Amino acid sequence: MFLMLVGLLFRSKGQFSRFLGGLSWYYLKMDFTIRAATPEDCIDIFRMTRELSEYEKLSDQVKISLEDLKRNGFCQNPFYRCLIAEVPEEHKTKDGHVNVGYALFCYTYCTIKGKCVYLGDLYVMPEFRGKGIGKALMSSVAKVAKEQQCTNLQLSVLDWNTPSMDFYIAKGAQDLTKSEGWHSLRFHGAALDKLAEEAPKN
Amino acid sequence: MDFTIRAATLEDCKDISRMILELAEYEKVSDHVKITQRDLEQDGFSKNPFFHGIIAEVPEQHRSKDGHTKVGYSLYFYTYSSWKGRAVYMEDLYVMPEYRGKGIGKALMSKVAQLGMAAGCNQLNFAVLDWNKASLDFYLSQGCFDVTADMGYHCMRCEGAALENLAQGDS
Repeated sequence: MFLMLVGLLFRSKGQFSRFLGGLSWYYLKMDFTIRAATPEDCIDIFRMTRELSEYEKLSDQVKISLEDLKRNGFCQNPFYRCLIAEVPEEHKTKDGHVNVGYALFCYTYCTIKGKCVYLGDLYVMPEFRGKGIGKALMSSVAKVAKEQQCTNLQLSVLDWNTPSMDFYIAKGAQDLTKSEGWHSLRFHGAALDKLAEEAPKN
Repeated sequence: MDFTIRAATLEDCKDISRMILELAEYEKVSDHVKITQRDLEQDGFSKNPFFHGIIAEVPEQHRSKDGHTKVGYSLYFYTYSSWKGRAVYMEDLYVMPEYRGKGIGKALMSKVAQLGMAAGCNQLNFAVLDWNKASLDFYLSQGCFDVTADMGYHCMRCEGAALENLAQGDS
């Protein structure tokens, strides 16, 4: 179900180049590439999910391990898909990282509109922002969504996160909480345990 | 009242489609409904289904005035949080009006929680309209919390021309 991304590097700064080959495609703008994550990328995804949680001031919410990430993204029926933004060696960070951004998404369903994609995470390391990487990641997820006949791309944003909110609104997203009054609700921990215990036994 | 909760089958899609429209009318979005019975059959009962369903069924003697014994449903699917791991998302929970107040909605939701936990999920997520006070009160009374009100998360969506432009890298 997931679209594999392969390609050659073109040094065409400021231009958009696309190589189409059956189920493979490639995206380059400036000096970075967007590609499908591999199990070996999990260590970088793990690192960047923690950076994202610190940015959202929710680092105490992070519970999963590197093993969880590998197991759930690279099994027969993966629970998520992931795209990575990679820069060439000469642009690596001071800590030596070339994987500088990621988008993590799931296939979901809306009984009104049909198949959807939920963009769970979109993150670019601070020193690589403002170069079109976030936009490229989001566009790549949208492209995958379209190719899988999904009619929507959904996501959540914290109300105080004005830069992200502005970014998504600029890309054409609607704020359904504001416009239609949708609230996200959640069961977890003891409340979830209790609810599950009350299920009918038949 | 006697009722059973069971996994949905392909044959249930006709009733699920009917009840989706009833739910859409209740939520005042019936003119937005695009999917058909056939879509449900393809999307929910293929090799890689996009959703799973459970049905609440009553015995024949309690069928509705239109002859329906399938009186409630829930559709759900699995997602993933890079912070918390596997989660189950309850997309729809619906019970026909004349069968409410009998524990059917609670039974359906509990079943989704049980199935989710059996699949290794540690969260059950869903969405409610802020004006739908009856549903909001029901859910909060069951122990969930309002992620939007408490944490400030807003639900966002990109569709139609905006999704098209984004996919082409034009926006």
